Amino acid sequence: MRTAVPLQAPAADEGWAAPAWVPTRALGRTVLLTGLLLVLGVALGRVDLVLLAAPFAIGAAIGLRRMPRSAPELTVDAAEEHIVEGGSVGAGLTVANPDVISYDLVVVRTRTSPWLELRDADRPFAITVATDGWTAVELPGQATRWGRHDVGPAAARVAACGGLLACRPVVTPARQVRVYPETEPFAATEAMPAAAGLVGNHRSRRPGEGGELAGVRPFAPGDRLRRIDWRVSLRTRDLHVASTLSDRDAEVLLLLDVLGEAGASGGVKGRASVLDTTVRAAAAIAEHYLQRGDRVSLMEYGSSARRLRAATGRRQYLTVLEWLLDVRADTGDQGPHEHVFGAHHVSSDALVMVLTPLVDPRSADMLAGLSQSGRFTVAVDTLPAGVTPPNRSPWTPIATKLWRMERENVLGRLREHGVPVVTWAGAGSLDLVLRDVSRLASAPRGR
Amino acid sequence: MLDGITRRIERTRTTVARATVLPLLVRGGIALAFVLALMVAWPTALTASRYVVLLGLAGVYPAIAPRGRGVTAAVLVVVGGWILDTTWFDARVALWRVLSIAALLYLGHTLAALAAMLPYDAIVNVDVVGGWLARALLVVLISAVLTVITLGLTAELAGGAFVIATLVGLAAAVGITMLLGRLLRRP
Repeated sequence: MRTAVPLQAPAADEGWAAPAWVPTRALGRTVLLTGLLLVLGVALGRVDLVLLAAPFAIGAAIGLRRMPRSAPELTVDAAEEHIVEGGSVGAGLTVANPDVISYDLVVVRTRTSPWLELRDADRPFAITVATDGWTAVELPGQATRWGRHDVGPAAARVAACGGLLACRPVVTPARQVRVYPETEPFAATEAMPAAAGLVGNHRSRRPGEGGELAGVRPFAPGDRLRRIDWRVSLRTRDLHVASTLSDRDAEVLLLLDVLGEAGASGGVKGRASVLDTTVRAAAAIAEHYLQRGDRVSLMEYGSSARRLRAATGRRQYLTVLEWLLDVRADTGDQGPHEHVFGAHHVSSDALVMVLTPLVDPRSADMLAGLSQSGRFTVAVDTLPAGVTPPNRSPWTPIATKLWRMERENVLGRLREHGVPVVTWAGAGSLDLVLRDVSRLASAPRGR
Repeated sequence: MLDGITRRIERTRTTVARATVLPLLVRGGIALAFVLALMVAWPTALTASRYVVLLGLAGVYPAIAPRGRGVTAAVLVVVGGWILDTTWFDARVALWRVLSIAALLYLGHTLAALAAMLPYDAIVNVDVVGGWLARALLVVLISAVLTVITLGLTAELAGGAFVIATLVGLAAAVGITMLLGRLLRRP
């Protein structure tokens, strides 16, 4: 009768299975030369030839007196803490030796993301590891762009027994380093177009309990005593109260157009691509509004249509940063469908900030659609200045010029539709526009 | 073809620019050991002639390709020269020559084993090369003591050299067989 479970392989094979320690060419050479010199010495009756073979035999005997049994352990260490692009990253490779013999030579190397400038990461390192010990190789460096960057996969090759035995390469999968976008300073001082909640920092256009003075009016039943304006009351000899505007919070929807990427990213100190500007601006705007107590939600305008629901507070800010790390350009031809993204997804009170390069005609259509459905929409132009397509023929410059003119035309038509378009320029770049939008919001709505 | 040459030149330039000191020194050590061994082993009549260039090439080649069969070939060339000198040219088997040839051959061989594993652009810890050389020197020292004792014995037992060579050779052959058997049996 056969057993249901297949029999285990003989125990003798265990040492030669993974990890496979294999003889090197040096061991083959040692055996060949020793044998040949001994045979020649015996055949020719020459003791000096035997003595020439002696170091090879002694070297092999000393080297192979103890054999390696287990595989080296290679680990990739990467910094776990909060790293902002341009900040320093600490990565490292650690080779551990669980064996009874020491490793005479360990050649360890790793691949890294091009956005992590780690010192000497493009070179292999040659180290030794003592018996039952470990050796670490430090790779300090700098993260030059936001995103999830790989440190690894790393590989180690070990030689033991004086280079007579070598281990097959041990490969370790990559570790990810999360590099958060640098938030460009942004401060919008203007009122929100529509405050939705009952609490918050924005002064609303409705009277209520708040900090912003709206005017002074005669006392009416129900008014709080602490609201009485004593100066005015004394002057007019009638009780007056100071009326204030209520403070409200608001929802801000950041809509990220990921239909295309343009411009080559030069990292944190170099030129910014469309996605660089999009992500950094989104992080800055989200940070600003979340600090003020507003609810911020994010959405991608692309085939994946990822979205992050609205929430407030520092926790949401960290979630936003984490969400932004996965922003990728949508390279597929399949566009966002109407049922995936539509104006009905956007709260009617939300301030919609669309970060778009306005390269794809679908983006302009989406903006026009949002504006027509009565959403407070602001378009932030993320196309880097001076970006041009690769020069493929003598007609490329003329075609680029025509395309730019057409784009200006689209921008003009969007403005006619009531969608302000501003180029992202950090602090205060949205102030004027937000003022216009809130003025529009105070006007009667509907078409 | 021109493209190929340009690419090769570019690759060589990159290699030279990226190369680090210690791997280069190790390869220099291989070349030095084999060239010196050739000079000591081969007859003076040949080493003083223009054939020395060929010998030099044979000695330097293992340093350029330590992973190939060039190292074995270089050792065999040294041994061939030694047999030629002591038989055809009838040179005396001097102790210093046997000692230095044995030591230089082993140094060349073990440094080639190191260079075969060591990438040319690696950042090498000094203790890698230091430990390697220390082990090599220990082996050389033990074999030197053995050489001195054995050659002393053969000088005393004049005429019995053949018997001693046979005995030592057989003992070593048995030892190597046992070593190989152990290596294959035991992980």
